[in-house]
Amino acid sequence: MSRSKNLAVKYLTAAVLLFGVMTLSGLMSAVYYINPDFLYGLLHFSVAKILHIDTMIIWLLMGFMGAVYWFLPDEFEREPTGILAAEILFWVFVVTVLVVAGIFTFVQWGPGTETTLWLFQQGRKYIEAPRWAAIGVALVMLVFAWNVVGTALRARRITGVMAVMSVNMAPLVLLYLIAFPKIDNMAVDLYWWWWLVHLWVEATWEILIGCIMALAMMQLLGTSRRIVEGWLYIEVSLVLGTGILGLGHHYFWIGTPDYWLGIGGFFSALEPLPLLGMVVHAVYDAGVHRMKTSNRPALYWTLAEAFGNFLGGGMFGFMITLPQLNLFAHGTQWTVSHGHFAFWGAYACGVLSVCYIALQERRRLVTVNGPGWVWAFVLLNGGLIGMVGSLLVAGMAQAFFERAIGGSTLDAFIAGQENPWFKLGMYSRFGFGLMFAAGYLVLVWNLLALGRREVAVVVQAMPAE
Amino acid sequence: MIWKALYPGRRPFAARPLNDVNLGYITMPFDDPAFWRAGAISTTVVMAIVLVMLTIDSLEAIAPGGSHVPPFTVVNRHIDYVHNAKLGRDMPVVGEDEPLFGKAVNSPEAEALIAQGKLVIQSRACIDCHTFMGNGAYYGPDLTKAWLDPAWEAWVAITGAESREEAMVRFLMAPDQYATWQRRMPNLGISRDEAVATVAYLKWLASIDTNGFPIHFGRIKVSE
Amino acid sequence: MSPALFLLTSSLLGIMVLAAGTYALLYGAARFRRSRALLIGAGLAYAMVVLDAAGIVLTTPLAPAWKLLIAASALGYFAIPPLTWRYLQYTHREEEVHL
Repeated sequence: MSRSKNLAVKYLTAAVLLFGVMTLSGLMSAVYYINPDFLYGLLHFSVAKILHIDTMIIWLLMGFMGAVYWFLPDEFEREPTGILAAEILFWVFVVTVLVVAGIFTFVQWGPGTETTLWLFQQGRKYIEAPRWAAIGVALVMLVFAWNVVGTALRARRITGVMAVMSVNMAPLVLLYLIAFPKIDNMAVDLYWWWWLVHLWVEATWEILIGCIMALAMMQLLGTSRRIVEGWLYIEVSLVLGTGILGLGHHYFWIGTPDYWLGIGGFFSALEPLPLLGMVVHAVYDAGVHRMKTSNRPALYWTLAEAFGNFLGGGMFGFMITLPQLNLFAHGTQWTVSHGHFAFWGAYACGVLSVCYIALQERRRLVTVNGPGWVWAFVLLNGGLIGMVGSLLVAGMAQAFFERAIGGSTLDAFIAGQENPWFKLGMYSRFGFGLMFAAGYLVLVWNLLALGRREVAVVVQAMPAE
Repeated sequence: MIWKALYPGRRPFAARPLNDVNLGYITMPFDDPAFWRAGAISTTVVMAIVLVMLTIDSLEAIAPGGSHVPPFTVVNRHIDYVHNAKLGRDMPVVGEDEPLFGKAVNSPEAEALIAQGKLVIQSRACIDCHTFMGNGAYYGPDLTKAWLDPAWEAWVAITGAESREEAMVRFLMAPDQYATWQRRMPNLGISRDEAVATVAYLKWLASIDTNGFPIHFGRIKVSE
Repeated sequence: MSPALFLLTSSLLGIMVLAAGTYALLYGAARFRRSRALLIGAGLAYAMVVLDAAGIVLTTPLAPAWKLLIAASALGYFAIPPLTWRYLQYTHREEEVHL
């Protein structure tokens, strides 16, 4: 099998394993809200949270890379350039992640010096990893970009999907440089930090997952390239058309001028519109194939992607995006509910879909089906929706009592956290988190076990009917 | 009626003709990805240019001494946060001299304090329990106006301090000894110098004009 | 804005988008199933969008410009499913499977 595809399987495996670490640290983070003495003095909330949010970013990034390495040799009909470097850097990436996780867990913090930032902790959300590790990640991404762009140059031809992906690599990699500096002025720090976070998850990552889903659709449903490319360009226009200035919805309260209230609110309010188009497209794709395909889990996870993206990003975002409302909801569990739903819908579902696609070819399965994936699908999505609903209740209570009524002081914060609706939300979130975790275990079992008991069929898997 | 407007021809489920959609003098090549590619490129370029222009303006406003962010030497002054009737929102107000610990600092000293304060905030990952201007984690309270929190009055007595800043310093150095509530802040080995720098940072932070966030800080409001 | 009105406004906005998504889903299902019943369902879902948008315009304290944006969005939500469906049908017309 292609070296790139072998590497893809390694990345997807690492991604799924890190998904487990994210789930476990997420459960831990939830416990602190219920039992504040949990591991006090040993491991505080911030450590669990850092592990939770950082593994989320890394598992998704690894998932994207796995997906791209999987599709790359088919798109270019050759082994990608620089594959050896990529293979080495995979291990560099894995070791870096493990060492950093160890540092976060056992060292946790250092004195207020530049040395701490270089060796142990940079303490900026999502990019807490020490600078030496950030260098490693940047290197991994540079080689990844080279694998894509270099192969296109070598092949002297490029498809529309790969052209979009290649151009997208530049901002994807360059934005990561924002993870390096220590900026004294918090307003300036947050200004640039949001370029990295928003222009990753609401721009370049959307484009990347769009390209990956385009490649997946061609394989899963046999859709023609012309259609998929046209749709991809429409998506790029709408996502970047609303998302680039939608960045402004993070600039309401960080000290920036108040024109951002109008600009950010306006463009952000438009963001659900393209997502509605994606829902229609998903219904069309499901209908046109009468929900029949040789790989049901892959199709269902793709549908979950379209709906999750719309609900999590579009609906939940729309509730809190207008500035006069965000004033109350900002920095509460409402934000958490939106964030969890949006990340799950927009990215996690897509990566899981690719896992099943790769699995089908890898194990040479004519069809991929069975009860296992259904249980995983129901438990994970049900658990996620339950968590998100719980956080919505808690967030609404917090926004209402702490901010709208209470005046956002320490006492108001405590009053909000002690509110019965808030506390109910925290218990409920933990319960659904357990359901989600059960779904994760079933998913792993399903991915390991699928097709193993069947006699290996040496037939290329084809989309059915 | 609605369907006629959207589907001229009265048969919404009939197959469509196989030619480009003709809008009179313009024929739209909806079939051709190159058409949509042009749209994608032009949209992205225009939006990116606007973003860059706004960034240049915003960076000027948020530089210390800019329209929204006071210079670091504001730590020598009294800070308040009051409702501005004309603007219809809360605004920070910089008042009389009120140096930290009774000792005024010059510009380079203030810069050094802020730089050290930021190093503390990053090295202890404060943003992974607390929020700054609403950004971060939601386990601990928001610190945007922490300098102005009415709770510090009680803490002056509890910590046996002579001033608000001294109470804050003592708290930061041993938060495990001064539990605010059932959810306790852990001891992060913050030295006295680090604590002083952090307090200076929080005082400067409270003076930033955040367009009214958090709303009516310190004032309870039940209805309009 | 009072605390109660803020929660009401946010909820109405969320419901509007949810109703729009329901409309899109039912519309698509109606088109591929060629079902009048589903089409009526889609119409009802869109009616929810209109009612909700009207509620936002009439009862919430948002400034006029934002209310205009909400109203325009509601119109946009109406047009997107049929336009998208037409585009998908049109581009898929020569595919092996199409609707």
